[in-house]
Amino acid sequence: MGMAWRLARRELRGGLKGFRILVACLALGVAAIAASGSLKAAFHRALAEDARAILGGDVELRQSYEPLTADQLALLSRYGSVSTVSDMRAMARVGEKRRLVELKGVDATYPLAGNLRTQPPLPMAQLLERRDGMAGAAADPHLLDALGIGLGDRVQVGNAAFQIRAVITAEPDRVANALSFGPRLLVAQDGIAATGLVMPGSLIRWGTRLALAPGADLAQVRADLAQAFPDAPFSWRDTSEAAPGLDRILDNLAAFLTLVGLTALLVGGIGIANAVKAYLDGKLANIAILKALGAPSRQIGAGYGLLIGSLALLGIILGLAVGAVAPWALVQIAGESLPLAARVGLYPLPLMQATAFGVLTAATFALWPLAQAARVPATALFRSRIEPLSGRPSAFMLTVLAVSALGLAALAVLGADRRDLAAVFVAAALALLGLFRGMAWGVSRLAALASRQRRGVWARPAARVALANLHRPGSSVVSMVLSLGLGLTVLVTIALIEGNLARQFGQTLPARAPSFYFIDLQPDQADEFDALVRAVSPSAEVEKAPMVRGRITHIKGLAAESAEVAPEVQWALRGDRGLTAAAKQPPHAVLAAGQWWAADYAGSPLVSVDAGLAKGMGLQVGDTLAVNVLGRELNLTVANLRQVEWASLNMNFALILSPNALAGAPFIHIATVHAPEAQENAVERAVSDALPNVSAIRVKEALIQVRAMIDNADLAVRLAGLVTLAAGALVLGGAVMAGHRRRVREAVILKVLGASRAELWRAWMLEFGIVGAVTGLAAAGFGSAAAWAILVHVMRADWTFLPGLTLATLAICIIAALMAGFAGAFVALRRPAAPVLREE
Amino acid sequence: MKVLRRMNASSGQPLVQLSGVTLNLASLAGQVNVLRGVDLEIAAGETLGVVGPSGSGKSSLLMVMGGLERASSGSVRVAGHDLSGLSEDGLARLRRDHVGIVFQSFQLIPTMTALENVAVPLELAGIADALDRAETELRAVGLGHRLDHYPGQMSGGEQQRVALARAVIARPRLLLADEPTGNLDGATGAEITELMFDLHARHGATLVLITHDPALAARCGRVVRLADGKVVA
Repeated sequence: MGMAWRLARRELRGGLKGFRILVACLALGVAAIAASGSLKAAFHRALAEDARAILGGDVELRQSYEPLTADQLALLSRYGSVSTVSDMRAMARVGEKRRLVELKGVDATYPLAGNLRTQPPLPMAQLLERRDGMAGAAADPHLLDALGIGLGDRVQVGNAAFQIRAVITAEPDRVANALSFGPRLLVAQDGIAATGLVMPGSLIRWGTRLALAPGADLAQVRADLAQAFPDAPFSWRDTSEAAPGLDRILDNLAAFLTLVGLTALLVGGIGIANAVKAYLDGKLANIAILKALGAPSRQIGAGYGLLIGSLALLGIILGLAVGAVAPWALVQIAGESLPLAARVGLYPLPLMQATAFGVLTAATFALWPLAQAARVPATALFRSRIEPLSGRPSAFMLTVLAVSALGLAALAVLGADRRDLAAVFVAAALALLGLFRGMAWGVSRLAALASRQRRGVWARPAARVALANLHRPGSSVVSMVLSLGLGLTVLVTIALIEGNLARQFGQTLPARAPSFYFIDLQPDQADEFDALVRAVSPSAEVEKAPMVRGRITHIKGLAAESAEVAPEVQWALRGDRGLTAAAKQPPHAVLAAGQWWAADYAGSPLVSVDAGLAKGMGLQVGDTLAVNVLGRELNLTVANLRQVEWASLNMNFALILSPNALAGAPFIHIATVHAPEAQENAVERAVSDALPNVSAIRVKEALIQVRAMIDNADLAVRLAGLVTLAAGALVLGGAVMAGHRRRVREAVILKVLGASRAELWRAWMLEFGIVGAVTGLAAAGFGSAAAWAILVHVMRADWTFLPGLTLATLAICIIAALMAGFAGAFVALRRPAAPVLREE
Repeated sequence: MKVLRRMNASSGQPLVQLSGVTLNLASLAGQVNVLRGVDLEIAAGETLGVVGPSGSGKSSLLMVMGGLERASSGSVRVAGHDLSGLSEDGLARLRRDHVGIVFQSFQLIPTMTALENVAVPLELAGIADALDRAETELRAVGLGHRLDHYPGQMSGGEQQRVALARAVIARPRLLLADEPTGNLDGATGAEITELMFDLHARHGATLVLITHDPALAARCGRVVRLADGKVVA
């Protein structure tokens, strides 16, 4: 080992030259992975620490329609203090102005955890109390803007009027609800009753929170509740999953960023292999001399291994430093738009994970050339100096290499939250590596074939030089194709997914989405509703369906909590779902399996299930499903599976029950209205004036919100794209630099033989142009395929080929390749011949 | 054929004419005066040996004649062209059409086969059957069995034969050789020497040969000695 150390130290005196790319590639990949892991940890810490505030207590029991019964409340109060909130959607009115609000009613003990902050800061009692016959309210500042009112002004909701006493600056339990359709209006619990909007079946959600008294045990509470009220409809949510929606978004984002980091590492790995190979190619004489002096392969391998290992370590440490600091910078930049106050800090686990990725990547990509170099025979001294490394490493080294490559794949898959996706990613990355490698080989072979031509276009000197560079030993085609190809494929994939989503939420969806969803229509208001809409918009299309809310409790006889359900359909088990009943098959519905029931069906209750949901739950025709509606357990048999096109934004239900199943349930109706844009305001006003209990959700506004969320995610996407691009650029630069000496020599000799600079330019542009064009085409193809697969199969969204984006990618690829070529050629051409010749 | 005719047309005057040529190169230790006023005329068809100790400026003189290095002052005329009036590309064209160079370290393009290396000058001149003629040329130097080998796969002697074939394939009027046997063992060196004089005899090019080897110099029609950047004999 002593000799190996000395060797490594002496070689290090030569400086970092040739290793900058290796260090940079590792640093970049490790930084990306460390940063995404640290960011995720920071948000999870925030979620955990703020869980009580987000939840409003240690546990929240949620149900639709009714508050908890007095018995249930009494049981809860034995364990601590209890607070009940309710929320519903309602129309706020000021004069002619209307705005959908998220109306929330709270009691005197609200909030049990966390702090409600208002401007001006007022205690709860003063904020909401009835003063001079007028109830108080606190509102989201956006509501005041939308309605054009200020503090002290009045806002009408249903039959009740509220005076705005303060604006809300922070609402602790807001995060728990991922999507909102309007600004918050906070009133006292009895204020909601005063609006007169709560009618049978109205979509009102009740949440009862419990803050445990010291010594009380949450598990005990749960057990007691289950024993005393086995059929209660409420769902239980405690601090272990305060905001599952947000949790999921964060996990997905972190998983995405980690995969991007991995891509960067993979692309960087090619740079590592190139750098190590180029460095060792230059050390062949030294190695042969050492061999001649009696050094065994192992010692030489160990020496250079130590050298490369210590430089890899430097890259990893740099990456860890950047990765640990990056979340802090990101939070500083994005601060305001983040839903949580991330607890940025030093999290050892993600840093360790990033280190492991870095070490395994460095090993996987550096071992092959290292092992080759160790086997260089002493006789190499007497051979030509330009013979590059070749041959197969020893069986032992091949085993080590395989272990480290497998370790890398295993870490990527096992360390991921979504192992299935990570496995697909690893497989896809390997396939891509293979495809691009094969393509590079194909380009080389074609170039070799073309260069056999003794006459014609390809026999011209520029073409011959280009072809020679494309297929000769030591050609940089493989590394150029891989570095450009992998990076650009990721870029095309990301760009196409983003482009498609932006298109859908920006153009496609708004174009075919209904203008409104109307909710809380009472059954006896249905005809009046139709008439009201027709009166102001004769051409409007109205579609209505009855709806009741219920929770899925059992799947094939198993309690929903313990049933095996695919992650992508978990949403269906979170809280209440909208259920509808229909005698006839809805016009949009396409059956994937089974039969629709007879219009007058009266047998045991049946259900029609969305095919995607059924697949995720493992349901087939004939299986059973139980839902709890208002405390009543309904056992349903799956009659058929339906293909539901959710992206149409038409009225769609995951579960449609046979009408007899829901007889007597407190239905409300929901309606969609497609109206010409010019008549939308009139429709909204007509309905809310005549039917104050009916709320209008403007679909386009909701879509704008979703679009804004996508735009926010853009930051992450752009960063990801940048990271991959940077890795690709590093490797490309490295590949060009590695061939630089050779290129300068070649240029000088050709000049000696009488080549003009224009001819040399043409040769290089042809060479890089061919590589750029072929790689760009392939990257566009592979990227499109990947984007299609992700959009259609993972996101279940529509796919449109975007030729502009693809062409832009192709152009970037060719330009990048040409620029790399230009940079190299420019220097090579400026070098005068004599000094280069004299070096020999 | 065209090349040959031009050669006949200009046989009346010296092929290479250097007068008062100096070459100053910048180095870390300051300016180095490599050539200090060289006057030299070389007639068409002549064989000239250039000898002198290391560092006397032999190689630099050759570079100046080949247009690879620009003289700091003085005039250089090769094949009727004043080199100071030619651009980089003009110099390249001059070499392409009139000058072949053989280096001590061969200077083959490592990414090209022997055949392709030899064909390059003709390809640069836009000659259609470059590869066919390169093959003939390689067979003439005894390398018919090495056509598709890369330089790295050949011995030094073989590489130098490829370099010789490349230097003469365009039938240059001036063949410059910078210690062509310096990197070769005695026997191989002798073979290369024979080949070089044989090619000279066959194609009639003017040969300028830089060498340390007195025996080799003695085979030349005329010998000039360089010392400290000047012609001393």
